[in-house]
Amino acid sequence: MRLIGMVQLIGIASWIGLFSRVIRAVEAEGTSLGFEIDQDIDLQGDCNESLGNYKHNCKSGFLSNEGGSETEIEVTETVIEDAPQPTINLRTREDDSIAVKDQIWYPYSEHLSIKPLPKNYLLASFDFDTQSNEFVPGKPSTDFDDYSHYTVFPKAFKPILDQTSTRQLHLRFTRGFWDAESWGRLPHDGFKSGGSGVEIWAILEADSKDSAFRQWKTLVNSLSGLFCASMNFIDGSKTTFPVESFHPVDDTTLPLFDQNKQLYLVRAALANEPICTENLTPLVKLFPTKGKSGITTLLDGHKVFDSSWHSLSVDISTDCDDQTERCSHSLQALVDMVINVPNTLARSENPIPKPLPGDKLRCDLDKPHDAFHCFQLPYETEGSYGLSQLFGKYIQGSSLMSQEPSQVCVDIADSWNTFIQVNGSLFATTDNCFELKDFQQQDIYFESNNTNEVVDVEPVPVYVSRSLTGYGQDRGGLRTVFVNPQDEPVTLIYFESLPWFMRIYLSTMHLEDNPQSPVNISLDDILQSTYYMPAADRVRPTHLEYKITIPANTTLAVSYQFDKSLLQYAEYPPDANHGFEIESAVITVIEPTTYQLRTATLLLLLSTPDFSMPYNVIILTSTVMGLIFGTLFNLLVKKMLPVEEADKIQEGNGLRNKIQLFKSRIMAKFNLKRREVKTDLKE
Amino acid sequence: MYPTTFKLRKLIGVCFLALYLLLGVPLWYKLTTTYRAPLPIEYIQALHDDRLHDIHMVIPVYLKCDSYKFPDLHKAVQVQVNSLLDTKDQGIPWSLQLMPYDAEKLQDSNNLNGSDYHVVNLVLDEAVGFSLAYDTKETTVFFDDPSIITNDLPFFIAQTLVEHAFELEWSVLSGDERLEVTNSMAISYRPNIHLSISLLTGDGYPVSWEIDSTLKKYFSPLRKFLSPLVNFTVDTGILYYNDLNLHTLNNRQNVTWKDLSHAVDLSELLSMNYFSEAASLNLAIVFPSEQNSKDGFNFINDNWYSFLVPQWGMLTINKYPLKQNSSLTENYLTPIMYQFATDIFQLLGLKKDSQELTSPCITIDSFRRITILQNIHKAEETLWSLVKLTQSFQTMSIPEEVLGNVTEALDLRLQIIDMLNDPLQGGDESWNRALILSNKLVELSEAAFFHGEMVQQNFFPQEHKLAVYLPLLGPITVVTFFGFIRLIKEKPDGKKRHSNGSEKSSEIEGKKSN
Repeated sequence: MRLIGMVQLIGIASWIGLFSRVIRAVEAEGTSLGFEIDQDIDLQGDCNESLGNYKHNCKSGFLSNEGGSETEIEVTETVIEDAPQPTINLRTREDDSIAVKDQIWYPYSEHLSIKPLPKNYLLASFDFDTQSNEFVPGKPSTDFDDYSHYTVFPKAFKPILDQTSTRQLHLRFTRGFWDAESWGRLPHDGFKSGGSGVEIWAILEADSKDSAFRQWKTLVNSLSGLFCASMNFIDGSKTTFPVESFHPVDDTTLPLFDQNKQLYLVRAALANEPICTENLTPLVKLFPTKGKSGITTLLDGHKVFDSSWHSLSVDISTDCDDQTERCSHSLQALVDMVINVPNTLARSENPIPKPLPGDKLRCDLDKPHDAFHCFQLPYETEGSYGLSQLFGKYIQGSSLMSQEPSQVCVDIADSWNTFIQVNGSLFATTDNCFELKDFQQQDIYFESNNTNEVVDVEPVPVYVSRSLTGYGQDRGGLRTVFVNPQDEPVTLIYFESLPWFMRIYLSTMHLEDNPQSPVNISLDDILQSTYYMPAADRVRPTHLEYKITIPANTTLAVSYQFDKSLLQYAEYPPDANHGFEIESAVITVIEPTTYQLRTATLLLLLSTPDFSMPYNVIILTSTVMGLIFGTLFNLLVKKMLPVEEADKIQEGNGLRNKIQLFKSRIMAKFNLKRREVKTDLKE
Repeated sequence: MYPTTFKLRKLIGVCFLALYLLLGVPLWYKLTTTYRAPLPIEYIQALHDDRLHDIHMVIPVYLKCDSYKFPDLHKAVQVQVNSLLDTKDQGIPWSLQLMPYDAEKLQDSNNLNGSDYHVVNLVLDEAVGFSLAYDTKETTVFFDDPSIITNDLPFFIAQTLVEHAFELEWSVLSGDERLEVTNSMAISYRPNIHLSISLLTGDGYPVSWEIDSTLKKYFSPLRKFLSPLVNFTVDTGILYYNDLNLHTLNNRQNVTWKDLSHAVDLSELLSMNYFSEAASLNLAIVFPSEQNSKDGFNFINDNWYSFLVPQWGMLTINKYPLKQNSSLTENYLTPIMYQFATDIFQLLGLKKDSQELTSPCITIDSFRRITILQNIHKAEETLWSLVKLTQSFQTMSIPEEVLGNVTEALDLRLQIIDMLNDPLQGGDESWNRALILSNKLVELSEAAFFHGEMVQQNFFPQEHKLAVYLPLLGPITVVTFFGFIRLIKEKPDGKKRHSNGSEKSSEIEGKKSN
């Protein structure tokens, strides 16, 4: 058997020779040894004669199949149309090349938590965590021994992060309105959701601010392609370098690969970016389950973007071990959404909206009602539904590559019941957390006799709203209202980045008189530190950050004025009359708790020209210039005459003269005719 | 009688017209024309038409004989080589420069990294024969005494060198086949290539593979070996729930290569264009899904089968699905890596068929030379396209940078050609330098062609310019020209009056007669 094998090996000896030569050239001892071993690989009997590694392999459990296992290598010339080439077939009667291990798992976990909110809303939070393989920082990828391995961490990120020396990356895609007064705090205390549109910030390692900005440009352009968002429109006029906001909580853990460089925090936001399926699809593709198993099967663009509020977020950070000097990236991706349950159910039942039949109307019985009159009740307080009705899909199995199975947790009050449906039977658990079963189609059911009774919502430390004031197209004002409903003062950092065409006057910043606010309070008392970087036209935005303390149970309104500047003709967007979206202000509460919230975006109306204006201007000025030139030319070129002479000529050429001439001609003709008649009569 | 102003007015009219024509029109033209840098069009056209004949690649070869001393052998071989080369029409002229082995001169360079120059070893043996070395740029020619007596040895050496050692040059440069890339299998040459190795499985079971140790053992040496030519960056990944859509072929009996190429869906692997390298190769190892194809792929007869996908890479399809918690050992991966390492030469264009490389060192050396020439050719063609582009869009601007790139590229080309033509330069280092320079040459020529201000149609066409200026030019032209024409038609004051007077008198006469 061995002999036959050896004879057959001759066919491939030449290419093996190539490698052995190469290897000899590279490393005399270790690798060439490895090569000889390779000639043995499939010859089970050779075990004892081979050297080093292979001997070890032979003993290492899963490979040795005494007696039974025989492997042959055959070199066959397989002719395939268009692509003739030799194919080596490894024929094994009992496979020893693929081992089966006890358990393999990868650092990937997924979790879904569901929480009913008041007024029949439902918050669903998808959480995906994964970690990359370890790598040695700063090693060039063209090194002969450098290989980047990926298992569950998406391949797309590391090259981008390496190229731009990014240590931390945060991406937010958010749309909708979070009703803080009834829903309470934002999920994850607001640190994982952005303002309306796209928001991105990153910590980059660079030797200067300029090179940090260049890397940032590369980063946003790459991400733009990856997530199909218009992040490539982020330029200097939208980018800020935040001073106090957005800083990671523990700054010291971020590694510096090159000690001569520094870390820069860069941020930008696109307020008018629509968030849609094309952003969700690439996100789902980043996960190893690819939307085919586990909770990712629920993520369907139609349902996610049909919700009242939704937020997609991606956070990547670099963690390094000081001792081994190896680093890895960790990625957390979240999809949060608030679903209006009755609306979604109605839509899944009846995709085309139809009026409810009379018997299904829920009338307010306290008010007069009959066949023709009905005051409808605001919303139903009883109900039962399944996740499959809300998402239009069942959960397909669990994530197989994680150490723990995928988990779904439901946070409900006593009047609620929740079950998991597996194979047609319903199961319940005490803590309302369900572990998903492999390969099974599953669903989560909810039922309640009072949907209004939900787990207490956590109070929000501060409410902030911002609005535009004033009228006219040349100036306006910005008014920010801080409401502290708590019994203790709240300290927060207010971050605002305004486009350069809003020229703010910081000197006009003042506290507005408000009957609810204390009388003897001035802005200087509550404002602790201010950072202000004025805008430069088309170069950088206004960057305003201040730390402010809002006294307990107080409402304060801070306002300031700004001028609207005129844009250049080509700077107007295609839908200029829509207005310009001003990105949200970011409020980071630092005391007494940590919390982050964003105001709604604003729509600023600038004076918008009529876009045929330039051509009109050209035509008008050209006409005026033509007129002037024509007059001047005529003045210079036309004949000048004294008035008398001109009158004479005028007489000759005048209208009266012409009429007389015409008259005399007609008369002459008339006379001629008369004469002819006379002569006829005479005849 | 008032003094007549006719002459003065005429003069003013003429002045206006002269100003319009001599100053206005040129000024307008000058101020509104786009800047067009003067490209060396004729030189580039000459390059394109191959009228310059400035390339004559000379490869130095050293003759070494330990047994006998042949003082004139290199000259005799040179004559034979030249006549042999002349038998074929040379598309791109090339020749070998035979020189006696100079131990001292070559020793220095050889010490550094193996062999620098091509050396022919003459060995006295019982019969005549030759062998190409595996690991060095060395040709060994065996000769016997009768061959010296009959003086066959020079011809035999010449034949060995031209037809065997420099076979690639002989076939590519001395044929009708020009440097156009006709190989549909190989990717176009790039100095940096990204290699993606993916393990795809149709299921979501966790699988592992001993890829790192396998690659370090079997692929790193290849990377080092090919490094003068190509630098690889490699990543590996496991993709779940993806069998490249191959389960659709399961119901079919006779699956041909065509069916496979129609069914296979490489989109998920193709869309990974996040790396910075311009070219990429792939190796995908696919396992079927247990759910879709429980008994494996019917069309695969053995355990696995590998296919070459033109300009993409290698596809290895396994028959049976992976079990849960499977781990692919080195034993499994090694043959695939071998196969891939053999095929990579084909994908890189080093060879056209699937035959093995008998003398990879010499082939790579030749391939490097061919690549240099191909790069030069490619750059020339790009510059020619640039010239054609600028000539067909007469109103397109040609920025200064384009001219700079073109000049730099042409200088670089001459520099490379000097290196190629120099018979004394032919060591590894000089070929490497020439290759790097030729890569830069291609880069420069492409930078010139793809300049943002040119190809993005960012220029105003002539009609646009006219439309903007017409409201101004129209009235002024009409006023100036018609005013001038009226001045020409107008008769001098005296004549006019006279003619007016005669008209009037005739009228009066007519009235009287009436």
